Amino acid sequence: MLNADVRTALIDIIGKKRYLDRPEELACYAYDAFLEESLPDAVLFPQTTAEVAAIVRVAATHRLPVTARGAGTSVCGAPVPVHHGLVLCFSKMNRIIEVNTADRYAIVEPGVINADLQRALAPHGFFYPPDPGSINISTIGGNVALNAGGPRCLKYGVTVDYVLGMEVVLASGKVVRFGSRNVKDVTGYKLSALFCGSEGTLGLVTEIILKVVPQPEAVRTVLVTFNDLDDTARAVSSIIGSGIIPVAMELMDKMTVNAIEDAVGLGLPREAEGVLLIEVDGISEACEREMRRIVEKVRECGAVEVKEAATAQERDQLWAARRQTYGVFAKIAPDIISEDVTVPVSKVPEMIRRIREIGKQYQVAIGVLAHAGDGNMHPLIAADRSNKEEWARVLESFGAIFAAGAELGGTLSGEHGIGLAKTPYLPLVMDQDSRDFLKLIKRAVDPDNIFNPGKFV
Amino acid sequence: MMSKESGSCGKCGLCLAVCPVHRVLQEEQATPRARIQLIEAYQSGRLPSSAYLKELINRCLMCGSCAANCPSGVDHYSRFMSMRAEMAKEHGDRLEIRGLVYLLARENRLRLAVGAARLGQSLLPEAFQKKYRLGEIALRQLPALNRKPFRDEVAEEHLPEGEVRGTLLYFTGCATNHIFADTGRATLRLLTALGYRVIIPKGQTCCSIPMLYHGGIEAAKENILENVRCLDRDGVNAVIVDCPTCGGALKKEFPAMLARYGEETAPAEAIAGRVTDLLSFLYEHLDQLIPLLNTAGEAVAVTYHAPCHLKNSFTPGDRLLRALPGINFLPADNALDCCGGGGTFFYEYPEIAGTMAAAKVAGARRSGASLWLTDCPVCRINLAGRLSPDDTLSVRHPAEFLAHLLGSDRINRL
Repeated sequence: MLNADVRTALIDIIGKKRYLDRPEELACYAYDAFLEESLPDAVLFPQTTAEVAAIVRVAATHRLPVTARGAGTSVCGAPVPVHHGLVLCFSKMNRIIEVNTADRYAIVEPGVINADLQRALAPHGFFYPPDPGSINISTIGGNVALNAGGPRCLKYGVTVDYVLGMEVVLASGKVVRFGSRNVKDVTGYKLSALFCGSEGTLGLVTEIILKVVPQPEAVRTVLVTFNDLDDTARAVSSIIGSGIIPVAMELMDKMTVNAIEDAVGLGLPREAEGVLLIEVDGISEACEREMRRIVEKVRECGAVEVKEAATAQERDQLWAARRQTYGVFAKIAPDIISEDVTVPVSKVPEMIRRIREIGKQYQVAIGVLAHAGDGNMHPLIAADRSNKEEWARVLESFGAIFAAGAELGGTLSGEHGIGLAKTPYLPLVMDQDSRDFLKLIKRAVDPDNIFNPGKFV
Repeated sequence: MMSKESGSCGKCGLCLAVCPVHRVLQEEQATPRARIQLIEAYQSGRLPSSAYLKELINRCLMCGSCAANCPSGVDHYSRFMSMRAEMAKEHGDRLEIRGLVYLLARENRLRLAVGAARLGQSLLPEAFQKKYRLGEIALRQLPALNRKPFRDEVAEEHLPEGEVRGTLLYFTGCATNHIFADTGRATLRLLTALGYRVIIPKGQTCCSIPMLYHGGIEAAKENILENVRCLDRDGVNAVIVDCPTCGGALKKEFPAMLARYGEETAPAEAIAGRVTDLLSFLYEHLDQLIPLLNTAGEAVAVTYHAPCHLKNSFTPGDRLLRALPGINFLPADNALDCCGGGGTFFYEYPEIAGTMAAAKVAGARRSGASLWLTDCPVCRINLAGRLSPDDTLSVRHPAEFLAHLLGSDRINRL
């Protein structure tokens, strides 16, 4: 509970209706999609940059932690207020300020839902490429904070590749702007990139200028099955190595395929050791040629079946399996962990082998799902957290997976972020000096550590 | 423990995208995910019971879209229902809601009340009807009650002309019985025209959903048993509902509730397997329906609103309207969005419901249609309540529109 003066000061800024502190309300802002929870002292819904700046000034005066929140769909605990204090929920600061397809940008407030932006762009024949699994509800502010990715980021890149500029409220309450409406801009440091993936630890982003791109003219999709997981992984590196960059290249292993078949029965080949869903987009003729080469490559690598989607409906059916995966695993046991360790694409076969060995070693069933084209693995474990012995093995196996990824020149997270989930593993991929440099930046920008304390930095 | 049986919430947040209340309020405490977390916090003793907790649990349309879209298979519907019952017990309910539960629990109470209300409707001065409102809807914008309950007005059994193709049971629901007799008559005409013997089983009563939403779990038991008794018949091709909420009850809640009461579930499961909404039944008999329709002449422009319970328990009826030749169907771009009706929701939360309904009306107007079709009686009341009596747009059950096409004279306006 905040002291009465602070409470009054905050309500003066934002009004009673957008200030919450009843226990029933606070309980709803203690979580995201990760496991850990922690209650805030108050939740505020700012709607203007001026309000955000005024709130931050009060928080700074009283050294109150400030944790930003969008839709709360982060899977790493980033918006969980582990040091309590204020949660600033941006869901009501959600105007699309400008869509300018002539100059290829859009300006949005942080609470704009990714799918709403897509809907605003579609009539102009444009889209915004990052497509996290939470696209229908997660906010652009959250996407920026976590540097979100998605299946089609293989070709198009992740959030940071689309942020041209932003407005930020600093810990001092000052409002600064980085970048511009220009796709080319080398004026000073590229500071907007620093805030992508910062998980709200450096400042509060209150406006974002995004690059948007024209929708491709054609899409071609193919589902390929292999009798050998190594062949599957080899096909991935062979296609990427040949210079073709598909939009998406999704890999599912036997366990994943069988879990999907058990649950929803989509007619996937149960005996297949590996399945690849590959999609290319662009100019029709180019798609045609790329698809022909992809089919040649997968056959060289031992594909046993190649199923092409001829219609939009068939494309949907091929994607259905991939889209069902999370739900299928979520129903197997009460808790599900989906990690996103990422390795160079040539190391995908080796990484998959290691994940399977780790599964055997710790006796946990690990489904392997991957945005394989960019080496972004999603090992999935469904387990019961209340079973202490099993849960300990689950955690150990994840530790081993991160270590294996690091050994192969990989990284902890491809798109989920560090948050609470992966902070302990940071030393695997960053040495002391590098981690100290993160701290140096944090201390310079937020000396009193009011922004999202308790996270990776 | 319970959470594991019915699927455990992984807090992924995908339900936020489909929750109509969250779409308006944009606050986590107005989401299915939050309600599940609040229920768990309450059940584990972390959060004490309070009137405000009840408020947060009840500020929900019970539309079922969260459960229908949940990757973890959480049964939001049952868990909300149980929690609502517990909260109603601990913190009471508004007098009029308690009255509703009391009335719906016994058919004779309901008949008496409807009779009295009908008398009231005809006696109330115009000025009073203009001024007083149910939620945001002026009293005079509410539909008139049936002169006589529909099920009293018509025979129990109806035979088609010519060959009998099969037998259907027709569960009319309270709305058709007491408010929209035209829907009932139209449904009978359509089904008999298709060649079916239609039986409206005596003894049917309120499906009990309004009671279940408001804590009347025990009060609902007798209704469910009575309905199962009268619908459990051999040699029946289908059980037809004209109201998607009743349909959802027959299809999902009856077996689930009987299991919960410790009663035999087999008859309810058999009924659940046969229940279908009217428009789905017509869609499945498209080849037989099309030759019966007279669609010559200028066609009235129709649009459609998909009720949530139809969307989540059956299939929206626009597929039928799209498949029928000669119909001037102009789909609204927001046809699948919730209207904010939600049983008594539009009355309990007029501001939220008003925002949703206004968006729906705007969508229907954009479509350019003059006739707005929807299967659900509450959606119909809620949407029609936002239109003026001389509006260019009017709301009807699709059965009424289709039954008119059975006639030899083409009508241009209902």
